[in-house]
Amino acid sequence: MLWYIVRRIVYLIPTLLIVSIIAFVVIQLPPGDFLASLISKAEETVDQAQVDALRERYGLDEPIYVQYWKWISGIVTKGDFGRSFEWDKDVSDLIWERLGLTVVISLLTLAFIWIVAIPIGIYSAVKKYTIGDYVVTVIGFIGLAIPNFLLALVLMYIAFRYFGQSVGGLFSPEYIVADWSIDRVLDLLSHIWLPVVILGTAGTAALIRVMRANLLDELSKLYVDAARARGLSELKLLFKYPVRVALNPLVSAVAWVFPALVSGSAITSIVLNLQTTGPLLYRSLQSQDMYLAGSLILLVSVLTIIGTLVSDILLAWIDPRIQLQ
Amino acid sequence: MQPTHTRLDDPAKTDSQTLLDVKDLKTHFFTDEGVVKAVDGVNLSLKRGETLCVVGESGCGKSVTARSILRIVPNPGQIVSGEINFQQRDGEAIDLARMNPKGREIRKIRGGEISMIFQEPMSSLSPVHTIGSQIMEAILLHLPVSRQEARKRAVSMLDLVGIPRPSEQLDAYSFELSGGMRQRAMIAIALACEPQLLIADEPTTALDVTTQANILDLIRDLQQDSGMAVLFITHDLGVVAEIADEVVVMYLGRDVESGDVDAIFHDAKHPYTRALLQSIPRYDSRENRRLYSIKGTVPHPFARPHGCPFHPRCDDFIAERCNSIDPPRHKLSQSHSVRCLLYSAADEAPPKEDALS
Repeated sequence: MLWYIVRRIVYLIPTLLIVSIIAFVVIQLPPGDFLASLISKAEETVDQAQVDALRERYGLDEPIYVQYWKWISGIVTKGDFGRSFEWDKDVSDLIWERLGLTVVISLLTLAFIWIVAIPIGIYSAVKKYTIGDYVVTVIGFIGLAIPNFLLALVLMYIAFRYFGQSVGGLFSPEYIVADWSIDRVLDLLSHIWLPVVILGTAGTAALIRVMRANLLDELSKLYVDAARARGLSELKLLFKYPVRVALNPLVSAVAWVFPALVSGSAITSIVLNLQTTGPLLYRSLQSQDMYLAGSLILLVSVLTIIGTLVSDILLAWIDPRIQLQ
Repeated sequence: MQPTHTRLDDPAKTDSQTLLDVKDLKTHFFTDEGVVKAVDGVNLSLKRGETLCVVGESGCGKSVTARSILRIVPNPGQIVSGEINFQQRDGEAIDLARMNPKGREIRKIRGGEISMIFQEPMSSLSPVHTIGSQIMEAILLHLPVSRQEARKRAVSMLDLVGIPRPSEQLDAYSFELSGGMRQRAMIAIALACEPQLLIADEPTTALDVTTQANILDLIRDLQQDSGMAVLFITHDLGVVAEIADEVVVMYLGRDVESGDVDAIFHDAKHPYTRALLQSIPRYDSRENRRLYSIKGTVPHPFARPHGCPFHPRCDDFIAERCNSIDPPRHKLSQSHSVRCLLYSAADEAPPKEDALS
């Protein structure tokens, strides 16, 4: 097992190298560069000499492989991800600043989805084709069909109009720049439920369907009948056998959670004005802020690979049929 | 309704030798397309320590009969009428058909007094639990023992059914065992609490011939040692000849003929039974002779023939009678009965069921 993990981590190095090259090239593919997009947005005409000076300072006039080499060697040797042109800050500072809240929101959303969806999915499968199942199914499809950002707008309106809550962002105005304190945490908690519910709705709806389908498959299996024929009660039977087996595929979905931490739900986060990494990535791609965008994509890739590894290990742990070697 | 089998010396109870007595059992499936009468009036009775074989083509309701006894008929199936009288270990007779299929009473019977093994050993064990955990589950449910004692008992059960290195195999998963070994493990689970009745639903159908013979021998040996009764469901008449004491032949959810194994094999009355027997390939038959096969196929469940359900395929079909009169059970001797108008032709108006049994 340990050997397997070590080997997977070693494989990670060439994968990441290739991903970083592709990410960097793709970011450079659109015509122009950060300065060009800056100039195009500027209202006054910009002095060409000044632009050239900036271009030289940022190294934008050098060939792409030189730029790439500077960037990647900085990361490997000094942990320096380069500098964001747009924010005029170190990329690593920018990402770390937002990563904390991103992780908190994502994990809460995940917990919300699982806690809500799994019991409903089980209910829906066990009570197949009853009124309860139909109600849950309809709500589920509505949840799947409504775009998150639209739900965000509607819920924000309701929260503001009827409950007088300050919406958008994760803090009330007075706490935005305040130091961490009990009050600030409470304020955060009173705001965070809205994005968690909004971000979790589609996921919950999808997971209900997945759980229902998985469980329906398992409920008709012979080993369930065999366990029933041993005299096990319906409830114990349900949780010990079919639910247990039906949960396996959900564990493999853990792999998707990690990359979604960074890049997921950018549009909803913009609508909700959340200080997470999603909107940061979106902006950096728009303005061709290449070191920031490249670093974020690299981060997403690392997390994808780690997520896959984690879910492989989890699956091997819970499902004896899977052997790691 | 009170059980009708009574004896002078013990009038309050059913015949103490009779373990299971199924009377006119009807199990129907209420689907959106209509009602499927999977079991539509089955009678069978089984004495302690005996082996009763239920034979018939696929789809004749053998498995549903077996599942009805344990009350594990899948949705949307329901027992609509009939009795399943079972004599418990404490001597009390109960009607399983009246029990709540999710209730505590039937759960005590399942695995404790009546066990079942299934057709596919590949899928009747949980893919993610060890063999041991499933045997111990059965033991802990029905016997007042500690976990350690249950584990010991589980090991001795695996040993009993001939699984090599039982204490190691206890922690094996089903996918690590061969088909034959899995069926042995299923038998170990089924017999762990020494049931009075083992229901075996085509337990050898999915296995190769050599393994089949081993499993049959195993069941027979265990039966001799423990004195349990076996209800054996199969479509293989070779198996029936080998193990049965009594035989019930089913067609379209009915018992068309029942009797002891000699009567069925040497003195079969019902045209369906005779046709089944003729359909067995024989090694000594003359060359170039076509193997007999019953004409037609089992009718669609929604297109149940009127009168005798077998009449469209019957060689001895009597026009105007077989397609209009539903043949009653006719008793030829103490143990041999048949549902066919060839034998109850004398009495024009078919007598009531009750009078016959």
